[in-house]
Parts: sequence; structure tokens; C-alpha cells
Amino acid sequence: MDVADISTITPLELISLEEPPATKDGAIEFLLDLAVDAGRVEDREAALDALLEREEEATTGVGFGIGIPHAKTDAVTTPTVAFARSTEGIDFDAMDDKPARLLFMILVPAEGGEDHLQILSALSRSLMHEDVRENLLEAESKETVQDILSEVVA
Amino acid sequence: MERIVTVVPEDGLHARPASKFVETANEYDADVQLGRADSDDLAPAASMLAVTGLGVSAGEDVRLVAEGDDAEAVLDALEDILSTPEAEH
Repeated sequence: MDVADISTITPLELISLEEPPATKDGAIEFLLDLAVDAGRVEDREAALDALLEREEEATTGVGFGIGIPHAKTDAVTTPTVAFARSTEGIDFDAMDDKPARLLFMILVPAEGGEDHLQILSALSRSLMHEDVRENLLEAESKETVQDILSEVVA
Repeated sequence: MERIVTVVPEDGLHARPASKFVETANEYDADVQLGRADSDDLAPAASMLAVTGLGVSAGEDVRLVAEGDDAEAVLDALEDILSTPEAEH
């Protein structure tokens, strides 16, 4: 992910260790609100529409207990990745039927070209490693989560 | 058994085409792997996470490798998905 430094893509306020709502749509809004509250989303409704439209096309529940809702939208001006995790897991319609416990939301500007796919594939590649998933599930501070994500960038 | 296929859908191996691709790879009695045509690295075609991790764009050539009773049938089905512009699905 050579898009930018992790502290600009995922500042600490975009990382939540609180329990998100137990439904897929609720969790997506929860992640979006992290970005909204951080002042990174100009049009919440447009961003939410773009995210839900993408989910309608095909779920972003990619298996292994991971959900990566994402969208290209003019509602943001810089690439943004928000993180949350669920203790019980959320039904993300994944093909392997595993509830999503690690949640990442990627928003990139509409004119961002392939940025969102680059972030998505870099993130997916690193999440294939079980130790990365476990470290994210066990991290006790936002700083630790950010450190792990920074290795995704590297 | 292997085959090189050019990815046609506009968004590449992403979203609906990727989802169809992984579903199809799971439907047959064969073990399927895929990677970029110019690389030796292969990823399991039956894993959405692995396929997403490859990040293949439209116009790229991918190599499909299948083993098992349905190897030829699954390669035919996967080639069909990769060769079809998204709107036709």
C-alpha cells in the first residue's frame, strides 16, 4: 500500500476497540461514523450509499472472519481506512460462513484511480497470515492496531 | 492442467466477477489455484481473501492451474467468467 503513511490513512481516531452493532449494516455505519466524527467525510449519506451499493453487488465478507466494506466516493478527499472488531462476530454473508470479527472500511476519493484496489489487496494479502489476524484480535490499544496496520503499508 | 486467461471485466477480478469466480471454483471437484501469468506465485482460487489479495486488474493475464476430476470443466467455467464483460453476467 504505497498510497501514503498509515498515520494519514488510519489516524488513531479511525480505530475503535468498542463493540460495534451486531448487524452488517449497523457495523458499516459504525465504521463510517468513525470517519465522519474525525471530519474526513463531507457527505455521510453519499458515502453510506456507495458502501451499501457495493455490498449489494457482492459481499465484502471475504472469509477468515474478515469484512472489508469499501467504496470510491467523492464524499472523501483522502484515502481513509477505519478499523473495528467484534467479539461475537457479525454475519457478513461470507462464503465460508464465518462471522466477521475484524472489520475494515476503505473509502477513497472517486478520482483516486486504483488506490482503493491497491489498499484492498495489500490489506487482504497481509490478513491471509493467521498471526496478523490474531495480533489484531488481541491488540489492547489503538496504537498497537496502528502499528500492525503500518506493517501492511511497509 | 493449466490455462492462461486475460481478465476482461472492467473492475478486474473484484466485486461481482471475483465473487462469481470464487463460488465457481468451490463448486467443482478440483483444486484450483491462480496467479499472474508472469509470476510463479499461486493463490487458492476458492478463497475470496486470497483472490482479493491478488488485486488483478482488467487486461491482465492470469494463470489458472487445476487438479482433480473436474479440472477441465472448472477451467472452462472460470475462463468463461474471466472473459465475460461484467454487464453480461
